[in-house]
Amino acid sequence: MTDPILRVEGVTRRFGGRGDLVARLLARLGLARPKPVVTAVDDVSFTLDRGKVLGVVGESGCGKSTLGRMIAGLLPPSEGGIHVATGDTGHALPMQMIFQDPFSSLNPRKRVTDLVGEAPRVHRIVDRAGMDAYIDGLMERCGIDPGVRDRFAHQFSGGQRQRIGIARALAVKPEILVADEAVSALDVSIQAQIINLFMDLRDEFGLTYVFISHDLGVVEHIADTILVMYLGRVVEIGPAEEVFARPRHPYTRALIEGVPRLDRRRVVYAPVEGDIPSPIDPPSGCHFHPRCPFAQDRCRAERPALRQVGPVEAACHFAEDIANSKETPPWPATQTA
Amino acid sequence: MTDVPVLQVDDLNTSFLLTAGEVKALRDVSLTVHRGEILGLVGESGSGKSITGFSINGLLSPPGQVMSGSIRLHGDEITGLGSEQMRRLRGNRIAMVFQDPMMTLNPVLKIGHQMRDALRAHMRIGDREVRARSLAALHEVGIPSPEDRLLAYPHQLSGGMRQRVAVAIALLHEPDLVIADEPTTALDVTIQGQILSLVQRLCRDRGTALIWITHDLAVVAGIADRIAVMYAGRIVEEGTVDDVLDRPAHPYTRGLIDSVPSRGQRGRRLQQIPGRMPALTDLPEGCSFRPRCPRAADACAQPQPMRDLGARRVRCCRPLTEALA
Repeated sequence: MTDPILRVEGVTRRFGGRGDLVARLLARLGLARPKPVVTAVDDVSFTLDRGKVLGVVGESGCGKSTLGRMIAGLLPPSEGGIHVATGDTGHALPMQMIFQDPFSSLNPRKRVTDLVGEAPRVHRIVDRAGMDAYIDGLMERCGIDPGVRDRFAHQFSGGQRQRIGIARALAVKPEILVADEAVSALDVSIQAQIINLFMDLRDEFGLTYVFISHDLGVVEHIADTILVMYLGRVVEIGPAEEVFARPRHPYTRALIEGVPRLDRRRVVYAPVEGDIPSPIDPPSGCHFHPRCPFAQDRCRAERPALRQVGPVEAACHFAEDIANSKETPPWPATQTA
Repeated sequence: MTDVPVLQVDDLNTSFLLTAGEVKALRDVSLTVHRGEILGLVGESGSGKSITGFSINGLLSPPGQVMSGSIRLHGDEITGLGSEQMRRLRGNRIAMVFQDPMMTLNPVLKIGHQMRDALRAHMRIGDREVRARSLAALHEVGIPSPEDRLLAYPHQLSGGMRQRVAVAIALLHEPDLVIADEPTTALDVTIQGQILSLVQRLCRDRGTALIWITHDLAVVAGIADRIAVMYAGRIVEEGTVDDVLDRPAHPYTRGLIDSVPSRGQRGRRLQQIPGRMPALTDLPEGCSFRPRCPRAADACAQPQPMRDLGARRVRCCRPLTEALA
């Protein structure tokens, strides 16, 4: 039984371009160069079922945060549509976002009660009489002692602040939480606590997550579906266990193989070459071709469409060959004796 | 071959002398690094891992101060050296690579200028020689078209490129010891792989001793020979990578390892360490990890000396390698 709650259809987001009237006039008169257009997210489509976790991975500048902000409704897409099937009643705001840096995402001049309580008050989710009990319940659920409700955000540690951020997001009874690098800034032992909290909350409230992270270990742990982005495009999307066990796209393979792991010792890293290209001037054809050891002429000329390859979708002309090739490519890491 | 380690630190104590009182940032830290060896120094925020690097390098500034202990470079004591003598060592025999190359490279000087300054700080050489050495260093760290890069400002390079430049500058004088403080934490996975591979190769080829400071156990699992785990200013366990990661003796090490999501554990609850690291001003008696430790007992309230368990050292009276009585 599939029960899609989030449908993203052909979403594209561009930044830059037009500029104001003066800039356009100057450009027309040849006195200034027109501002470059960056396509941060390029024709992304997927559906997400209720109660599932979508892990969005990719490196800096791949557009994962822009995608997350569009899903959370913080940024309108340039093209395409994002549809949320809000189910039953009681959900005031269906989507909420949790940010990476709990130091800058909480207003330092507000007390915890106000941080958590402001939205439910404004949206009249709880009446005045029940407010204190409601806030206490949320704080307790997220692992913050309600006794500290009158403190300011700066009086808490990073992990505690992230818990406050989660309580604030939950306060409006959302259905979808977009977590953008929500555990990346935390120490390992604290990160484990927050990941566990995320999983408990999903089970308890039937939440759906869009979990954005550059940390593949974390994403593999929590996500049901993995979406891999490179320079604004989806290069691979599929069930987490499939993507991690047998990546079809060479970039996915490079990412997964390149992640340091506890069980890999004395690795000789032979990493994927080259830098991440600038999204202002992306390579032709397949964006990954300058760094791809499998690249051929076709990859330089023709943009590969996202297509079904076995149980996953991948955007690579040679996905079948790469998934089936037994020999290990020369990168990214080979174990030594 | 003499058996004098490149770096030997014994019972190092570093404190911050604040008006509110003394904050002991490092307590009895001892470590040894041999030629060509990579030591991973692991710990969470506030564990003292960066302060250890700063103390060795003489980069502590007041109110931070090394209170006692000995730091020997090739057997020569360097704790008592004056700032001028330390300046002669730094960059020359001990080099450091920091987390954020945007902070360590001067944003208003061209790369070539900064490399020239670094070279001339310890050598009297002419312009031609400076240029040749700079180009060779950039070439060695895999920077394409190094001639152009010498004329570039740091902001014109990508993060990975900047970190390569920082590594190149650190290695200009072929130091005996490199202290790398979270050098790949700010980088993307594929770029991190490039820097890891680079540092690994350079250390192996030149026999440079390396201390790799990080919070990421997985990174040191891949490159280090030995691991030292720090908690609240103390080294709590130290041994070979395989011993420490496969058979941790200290409950904190065990907790750290279990906190890392690993393959084949999908969807399972992570083992979490309850609570968080205590403030350095408010450490419990005896073992600092005691309030969070599942194995804690009365004996843990006593001071915990470093114990030798064969090839490794652990600061715990009830290590996981011994059955509880």
